Amino acid sequence: MMRVAATGSGRAVWPLLAGIALLLAGLALAAGLPDWARRLPADWQVDAAGTLNSFFSWLSRKAHVGPLAVKDITRALGTAVELPLDLVRGLLAGGFRLRLGGMRLEMAPLPWWALTAVWTLAAHRISGRGGAALVLGSCLYFLLFGLWEPAMFTLASVALSVLVGAGLGLLLGAWAWRWPRLDAVLTVLYDIMQTLPVFSYLVPILLFFGFGPVAALIATVIYAMPPMARNTTLALRRLPQSVEDLATMTGCTPRQRQWLVLLPAARQGLLTGLNQVIMLSLSAVIIASIIGAGGLGNDVLQGLKSMRLGRAFEAGLGITLLAIVLDRMSRAYALHRPRHGRPGRPARLLLGTFGFLLLALLAGQFLPVLRDFPPALTVSTGKMLDDAVAWINLAWQGPIAALSDGTVRYLLRPLKELLLALPWLGVTAGAALLAAALQGPRLALVCAALLSLPALTGYWDQAMISLYLALVSTLIAMVLGLPVGLLAGQRPRLDRVVTAVIDTLQTLPTFVYLIPVVMLFGLGDFPAMMAIVLYALPPAIRYAKDGVARVPPKLIEAADMAGCTPRQRLWLVQVPQALPELMLGLNQTLLMAFGMLVITALVGTRGLEQEALVAVSKAKVGEGLIAGLGISVLSILADRLITAASQRLRQRLGQG
Amino acid sequence: MPPDRKTPPMTENGLIRCQNLWKVYGADVGALRGLTPDAARARIAASEGWLTALGDVTLEVARGEVFVIMGLSGSGKSTLVRCMTGLAAPTLGDLMIDGVNLRGIDPALLIEMRRHKISMVFQDFALLPHLNVRDNIAFPLRVQGIPRARREELADRLIQTVGLGGRATHFPKELSGGQQQRVGIARSLITEPEIWFLDEPFSALDPLIRDEMQGELLRLQASLQKTIVFITHDFDEAIRIADRIAIMHNGRVVQIDTPERLVLAPADDYVAAFTRKIPRARVLRVASVQAPASERAAGAPVSAAALVGDVAARVLASETPIPVADGAGRIVGSLDRRTVIETVFSGASA
Repeated sequence: MMRVAATGSGRAVWPLLAGIALLLAGLALAAGLPDWARRLPADWQVDAAGTLNSFFSWLSRKAHVGPLAVKDITRALGTAVELPLDLVRGLLAGGFRLRLGGMRLEMAPLPWWALTAVWTLAAHRISGRGGAALVLGSCLYFLLFGLWEPAMFTLASVALSVLVGAGLGLLLGAWAWRWPRLDAVLTVLYDIMQTLPVFSYLVPILLFFGFGPVAALIATVIYAMPPMARNTTLALRRLPQSVEDLATMTGCTPRQRQWLVLLPAARQGLLTGLNQVIMLSLSAVIIASIIGAGGLGNDVLQGLKSMRLGRAFEAGLGITLLAIVLDRMSRAYALHRPRHGRPGRPARLLLGTFGFLLLALLAGQFLPVLRDFPPALTVSTGKMLDDAVAWINLAWQGPIAALSDGTVRYLLRPLKELLLALPWLGVTAGAALLAAALQGPRLALVCAALLSLPALTGYWDQAMISLYLALVSTLIAMVLGLPVGLLAGQRPRLDRVVTAVIDTLQTLPTFVYLIPVVMLFGLGDFPAMMAIVLYALPPAIRYAKDGVARVPPKLIEAADMAGCTPRQRLWLVQVPQALPELMLGLNQTLLMAFGMLVITALVGTRGLEQEALVAVSKAKVGEGLIAGLGISVLSILADRLITAASQRLRQRLGQG
Repeated sequence: MPPDRKTPPMTENGLIRCQNLWKVYGADVGALRGLTPDAARARIAASEGWLTALGDVTLEVARGEVFVIMGLSGSGKSTLVRCMTGLAAPTLGDLMIDGVNLRGIDPALLIEMRRHKISMVFQDFALLPHLNVRDNIAFPLRVQGIPRARREELADRLIQTVGLGGRATHFPKELSGGQQQRVGIARSLITEPEIWFLDEPFSALDPLIRDEMQGELLRLQASLQKTIVFITHDFDEAIRIADRIAIMHNGRVVQIDTPERLVLAPADDYVAAFTRKIPRARVLRVASVQAPASERAAGAPVSAAALVGDVAARVLASETPIPVADGAGRIVGSLDRRTVIETVFSGASA
């Protein structure tokens, strides 16, 4: 057993070593290489960005579909989205301002007390007392800290995008289930959509829909919809054949089959998808504040921009609460199993709620006392927090600067310079050879093709900078996460605590992670790295602990019977057995790192993500898309290589 | 049945009739259509890479009969029942349900047929997880657009019939396997179908529960008098409930007979292997083992139609043979101890 594991991992390491050796050799030879092998000269590069720019400018100005201009179609679509968005936003926050001739009508939104009551009661029904307390506490927090309106704005955007995203996902997922060919196309599309940085597709959306909440909503739907579609297809595919047969044998029409049998029977999977849509929507709505989505994200963004970090922190805490509440409620709803004896009159309940809200709305119009939360009660700790941050920065200046400068000098900068010094041809060839050793010529070809994209389009340096930051952050996350995971995997009590913490960390939108690191470390590569490490830590821990916990008990017993000390058992049996799982953890950690990397452009990194962000502010579609695709390429590449390595390991260990 | 045996002529009163049914999987099996049965048979025999799930199946199920299709996994029994219910289309051959040919049937008519004439019980129950017991049972009526009050009334009546009183508002996840299948059975009965398909309904249950459910099924059938097509891989189960059994092997029907005839005259070694372990006394009727009427016989007569096992205790307790009477009460033979003992113990040695 021991020997098998040892030789197994030894052999799997071999191609890795070969790849590294090759890279180093390439570096050594770089001096002797012709210039074009190091960086493609400008006139060899393809002006993909320019081509895309002119295509999109043609599309948005001149293109026609039949008699309709594309621009008019998108404008109509924008209006169609705007109406419900205004309605929901007006109801939850902001109210309505109508102009009828010369008359101006103002209407107040739903009063805070009514929304708090309904939301708390709903939480109580879905997730019990704990959930209700959480919701009540969150509402109080929003009210006391003057965040009620932005929070309701964010909630309204999330609600509408979830509605659209879930509906669209359900439809696409059901179609993909029925037509496998469509499924194949959509899967590739979703892969790109989910690895492409949000900033990249914000630009074309800006072009067609203009700056503002509508563009933000469309971007959010694009970002959040794929998991719903994937989960729908998966859930339908997992249904037993007999459920389909039942629909047939009871004489269902095609529509009855879909809506009375298949989709309800797949409910569990669909709700899992819904939970993911909600969380991704929240994350995207927050990010979309850079194109004018408003809400809590905007408060954070403005706070970060003007270095009023206390305010950013308060809004960030608000986002955190919102994320935890939404996740808990939707998860509880998804896990909820129907049980007998529960009084279930959903129709009457809904009607009652509706009536109550209507009355509250009317009351709010005519009784100002019932409309607004008394301003005298609100507090802001913003100033206090700002002072606290200033004090911490002053008092701890020495250690903070030492940590930050030391890491930059001895780790970040050397690694960055190493990657920048490598010739593109060497890196591409090295990656292809590694791919060939791990899986075969096909993956090698894919690798080479993918990597030549940034080289050909003139984004090689930026790609290397992105890669360096993602790699070094992943490395640190693994170094920090593995011991915690290995320990938790063997101690159930520690496991419970760790799981609760990383579950919460994973519900937080990416944006939130920027706030504490900027507070402590300011701007630059070091705070960016810290944010990425924090965000990427949960999968590193989770896979390590699950990997160790899932080692078959009989192997543990065999190790004990062979007289292993606990330490020997861990290193000789559990870790080798968990290696494939650890590789998957590495993969997830790296993908999360890429996901966070994109957002760190806001704290001043210099890689592809920065190009994408700049493209948003300059409304340059081509640059935004090409830079974004560069990040897509890097993360897809990393994913394929690590997956191939993990598969090899699994075969060696006889785990299928 | 050897493959070259001539198919028996069809009678006109079979409620379900399968005529030279083939189901073949493989590339371009469509080429078989339009060939005569003999030509098709030759073509299939000559083709490599085709998988014959059903090979020339001809049988009919009479009205009111409990017809069991018995076979091990891969024998084609599930394919056959899927063809009978229209869930799968046979490659060749005709399938008539009450005189209606399923080939090329108008989809609307097929839906109508499934809503009223036939129904099915599934091996894994196929209950809808989001509906409670009552709604699950009433589901076929909901599909038909019958008002809620009416369908709940009917469902509640069936809940009592299948012994689930008090559990109308339970959800499937809260029930045991046996209870879940009771729901499945009630659901399949709510449309008052003429033909009742049960696809290995008790295979997923524990032996004790399975035994109980078989008894339940026989009790229900005694009052309902449906035409039943029952699929099983369990020969014990087959002989317990069947009027007639079709034994399938490699996609072919090997023998169709009453349990008694299967035991007494197995068509080949394959059938014999199944019957060997079966206690004769549980299958054979008095009529097939009795001796001619004897002067020595004394005591109240036993019925010629009774199972030997059911009368064994009486015969063994009696010094003299017991007379055997037919349905009309006439003495048609006698049964002595020796015959009963031989019948009871012959299963192990045969």
